[in-house]
Amino acid sequence: MSELFSEVYNCYFQVIKSLIETQKYISKQELTYRIQKSGFEESLLTLLPKLTEKGWGFYENNKTMFCSKLSTDFYVPLTNLQKSYLKAILMDDKIALFLDDDELTAINAALGDVTPLYRPEDFYYYDRFADGDDYQNPMYKKHFRMIQNAIERHQYLDIAYESRFGHRVHHYYLPCRLEYSMKNDCFRLLAVNRNVRRSQRVEILNLSRIREITKSSETAAQIPNINQLLRRSYYKEPVRILIKDRRNALERAMLQFANYEKSTRKIDDNTYECLIYYNKKTETELLIEILSFGPMIKVVGNDAFVRLIKERLSRQAKFLNYSEKTKGEQDNINS
Amino acid sequence: MSEFKELIKSFSKSREYVRDFFIYGFKTRDEFQGWSPRTYDNERRRLESWLSAYVRQDYTPKGKNIYLSIDSNLLDTNPLYRVWKAKSFTDNDIMLHFYLLDYLLGSEGESVEEITDGILAAYDVLFEPQMVRRKCNEYVKNGMLAGIRQGKKRLYRLNPSFRDMLSSYPGLGNALKLYQLSSPLGILGNTIMENVSLTNDVFRIKHHFFAHTLEDEILLSLLDAIHQKRTVFLQIKSTHSKQTVKVNCVPLKIFSGTRTGRRFLCFYFPEKKRFSCARMDAIKEVDLGEIYPDYQTALDNLEKNKTKAWGVSFQNSGHTHTEHVKLTLYVREDSESFILQRLKREGKGGTVRRIAPDTFVYETTVFDANEMLPWIRTFTGRIVSLETDNKRLAALFQKDFYAMHRLYFKE
Repeated sequence: MSELFSEVYNCYFQVIKSLIETQKYISKQELTYRIQKSGFEESLLTLLPKLTEKGWGFYENNKTMFCSKLSTDFYVPLTNLQKSYLKAILMDDKIALFLDDDELTAINAALGDVTPLYRPEDFYYYDRFADGDDYQNPMYKKHFRMIQNAIERHQYLDIAYESRFGHRVHHYYLPCRLEYSMKNDCFRLLAVNRNVRRSQRVEILNLSRIREITKSSETAAQIPNINQLLRRSYYKEPVRILIKDRRNALERAMLQFANYEKSTRKIDDNTYECLIYYNKKTETELLIEILSFGPMIKVVGNDAFVRLIKERLSRQAKFLNYSEKTKGEQDNINS
Repeated sequence: MSEFKELIKSFSKSREYVRDFFIYGFKTRDEFQGWSPRTYDNERRRLESWLSAYVRQDYTPKGKNIYLSIDSNLLDTNPLYRVWKAKSFTDNDIMLHFYLLDYLLGSEGESVEEITDGILAAYDVLFEPQMVRRKCNEYVKNGMLAGIRQGKKRLYRLNPSFRDMLSSYPGLGNALKLYQLSSPLGILGNTIMENVSLTNDVFRIKHHFFAHTLEDEILLSLLDAIHQKRTVFLQIKSTHSKQTVKVNCVPLKIFSGTRTGRRFLCFYFPEKKRFSCARMDAIKEVDLGEIYPDYQTALDNLEKNKTKAWGVSFQNSGHTHTEHVKLTLYVREDSESFILQRLKREGKGGTVRRIAPDTFVYETTVFDANEMLPWIRTFTGRIVSLETDNKRLAALFQKDFYAMHRLYFKE
């Protein structure tokens, strides 16, 4: 099996491939722009002289323009490792959302005799939720493909949706992205509601709760900047937590919160402060994730989040008949 | 002083650096232990070069603090894949790559001599035939070229373009947009997308841990051993004590935590006759050993046993084989059915029953109940009682709760 850390996947190789396959003639200015856009931060220092001066000789200097010696039909065949990866993803249950059985058989045959890089049973997601979406369900597949098409074509859809409480509602949405959750093993649609134009916000619909989709002929000139909308949905004040580095808590927290936009700094020898950005939709999830660390993490801001933690602790104290007054008694029991 | 280069020969050192910046985004220059200041400066500069869009810096009293800020919900691909694209190469490597593949476009097959002459004629570049032969054979081995025997001659031709396959099956392109984010070894999906200039404008990922890609080389070796049913010699560096141990074991499966971001190799110890798990980010080296004759039996036993493991632990510190946990929760039936749903979908087959109005009991039996503590704590605010034969767990739950309560109401 070929190597993963190989020059054939190198960024410089990709930049040059993309340059030569798209145009025969190119100015130095555009070369500079394209290298800066797709290369690493400092790639220009190496790549530009190698392409424009006496270097690799892929271009001939034609006064104002550089002419590629290579064909615009240039392509790089896949490596066995890449083919083997393709065979592996063809075995995943979600592939049914993209390809029919006949197509799967044909692609497998076209990929030749390479073996799949892995099989689904090589992996076990031990804490994944048990009620993941049913990717074989014909209605689910149909909705998935309709949404995917609509995202590509910027097309509005009329979606009938069953809420968590069993209410059926329907709205015109502009689908923006399909979000896959590794933990829930399900897809959600990130969309904006056509009727809410002033303060546009991202609405999240579970695909498994979509009951019906009707295509609309209406299209949008472009999809709104989803990141801007999501970032705008973050609370102004992040959660500010203090992590005591005991029982490996720091490392566990850094890994667990790696998903969130955050910043961390050291306060003293074994205390770290971490700011985590979140929105209304992720609030409860973040809350229970923080609770799962017990006393290793203390929330010190924002006030609203501290209140949420305190509420839960107060409720819990009642169940355990605990109050600070009985603390001395409890300490005696524990000692 | 050697000149700074943004490309590297070996991945392992940079892997540690990126992990430290990504996971522990708070270390100042002085706090990176085990590296000289020059190494730190070079690695930091490289990281800034590869991942400039994601590097942030803060100034603290202890110095400049550089970290990677990556919110996976907002990204179309994993930015850490760029680290895999920094392999250094020689001038001949890159020149031969482009001239050879371009020259063979449309060719039915040519010998090394024909290719060498052809490249000279077409591009005015002369290579040693030996060098051309080496590159051709390397590309036959990695699958990019086909080697055809014709009499005494060996001819080389290009393998088909992926673009052709994609135009016949466009669904595959959309699948790649998802899988490059969500699947193991998604870096390969990402390189295939680059191969055909595809970008992901459809999918986003949630609850995915981008740092996993840093272990992909280790993962490849382990998958290889698993498929060949071989034993492996692992070099494991404890994330805690930093000590390195060597382990000879039978690799069986990759255990992945979608909540904690931890990924493990689950393996079998034939001498001790037990299963165990090692953190993937702690495995520094994998060497393949002998074929293990009882591989299938070990795998079948793991399948039977894994349902009793809450996480990755197959034994407890007590004297019992398994431990029982009974969690009584207050759940308002009229408005909090989502809690019951949580118990069913997160409770790994544990039973849930109503014992009184608004009161439910969740029960399960696992190898090591200690592993359940973080999950149990997520129900803080509604835990009426926790009963278990693991006395340490019950005591720790209570002690931690008191400590937590003091944190907010006393201090």
